Amino acid sequence: MITPREVLRKAKGLPTLPTAVARLAALLDDETAGAADFEKIVKPDPALTANLLRLANSAFFGARRQITSVRQAITLMGVRRVFELAASASFSRVLPSRIPGYEIDAKGFWRHSVAVAVLAEHLVKRAGRRPPEMTFTAGLLHDIGKLAIGSVLVEDSDEILSRMWAGDVSFIEAEHKVIGTDHCEVGDVMAEEWNLPVAVSWAIRWHHAPAGAPDDADVLLVDLIHISDALSHTLGFGADVGGLARTIEEDAVKRVGLSVQEVETVAGEAVDQIKEMDALLSGQRG
Amino acid sequence: MQKNITIDIADFAVTKDPGAVLVTYALGSCIAVIAYDPVVKAGGMIHYMLPLSKASPEKASRNPAMFADTGIPLLFQELYKLGCEKQRMTVKVAGGGALYDDKGMFNIGKRNYTVMRKMFWKNDIIIAAEDVGGSKSRTARLHIATGRVVIKSGREEVEL
Repeated sequence: MITPREVLRKAKGLPTLPTAVARLAALLDDETAGAADFEKIVKPDPALTANLLRLANSAFFGARRQITSVRQAITLMGVRRVFELAASASFSRVLPSRIPGYEIDAKGFWRHSVAVAVLAEHLVKRAGRRPPEMTFTAGLLHDIGKLAIGSVLVEDSDEILSRMWAGDVSFIEAEHKVIGTDHCEVGDVMAEEWNLPVAVSWAIRWHHAPAGAPDDADVLLVDLIHISDALSHTLGFGADVGGLARTIEEDAVKRVGLSVQEVETVAGEAVDQIKEMDALLSGQRG
Repeated sequence: MQKNITIDIADFAVTKDPGAVLVTYALGSCIAVIAYDPVVKAGGMIHYMLPLSKASPEKASRNPAMFADTGIPLLFQELYKLGCEKQRMTVKVAGGGALYDDKGMFNIGKRNYTVMRKMFWKNDIIIAAEDVGGSKSRTARLHIATGRVVIKSGREEVEL
């Protein structure tokens, strides 16, 4: 048995998000910060700048005109969106190409992460609700705990998979039985260490059990990530360990204000964008 | 030399290249229909996502392979163009799974399967073998040289 912090101590070699992302996140909470402060952090990093502009001009993020500078991106899209773009661009660069445990294949893992991010944005739009600030980022990073567990607990992760495949337990239950924690708890601590906004940590922490989320969490965000995750596993958007060995909370779908039929329609509508974003962001990975 | 041709979700491919292996990954509730004619040694595979195109006619016209009712006929038409004949073709099916416990909410897999069965029944197509249902994520491969179909889920591999 191991605690989430112990997992992370062992996972020292695991890449972390560039400090620029944490510094941008800190600015989000600073009411006195302006566009110039964001620009100061992004501009010195040419790779981040280039990737951010590439994403900003993609069909998905849908700027109405060509964005050619960081300042323009901030003015047109707002600081929250620019943060999301920066986090996406950075995460795709730090994702290791091979994770020894959990039989994680980086390509499948990445496709799944992108799918959850894109689906969550589509679902909230379809429900006619105001999108939570960190929807895309939370979707993209919801499974980071698996990267840490898969990197350091190779034998344990093997045992977790065996138990799951033997049947009758969900992936989360198997994680608890074998290591005493799960990828949600580990991911929560990771997000904290990466200095990500607390809304993202909470979405990671509760994405398998939204009913357990505390009252001060952004429940809509947690629900969206939960539904998108279940839906993308159901449809097989990306091959991620754990796969179909999971559950879905019916109440989460009701709370968001969607029918099951609407959720399915959204999946059909989102598939092209998932492929597009996957290709766009994968192109940055070495 | 073996050449993998990967079929993405909501996509299909046909070929008579003897070195080719058609492969599709992460079949959850989606279904792969795999058809092969042993005489001309040509085959094809579709990985469709949803049962009926009426859910989104606009999507279906741009991407018929997304739906069973528009995608499966397209797969067969393309195979006929390669010289395949219906009576000789072996048809195998994989996928149609569901979450371990989805409270009956996303029964896409079952509906995907039912619609396909109806279409095959109407068109006198017999399913030679299948690996469907359950909470499995599957990878399907069709070896064009031999017509061998292999389904992998977790660490298990079965030949259909």
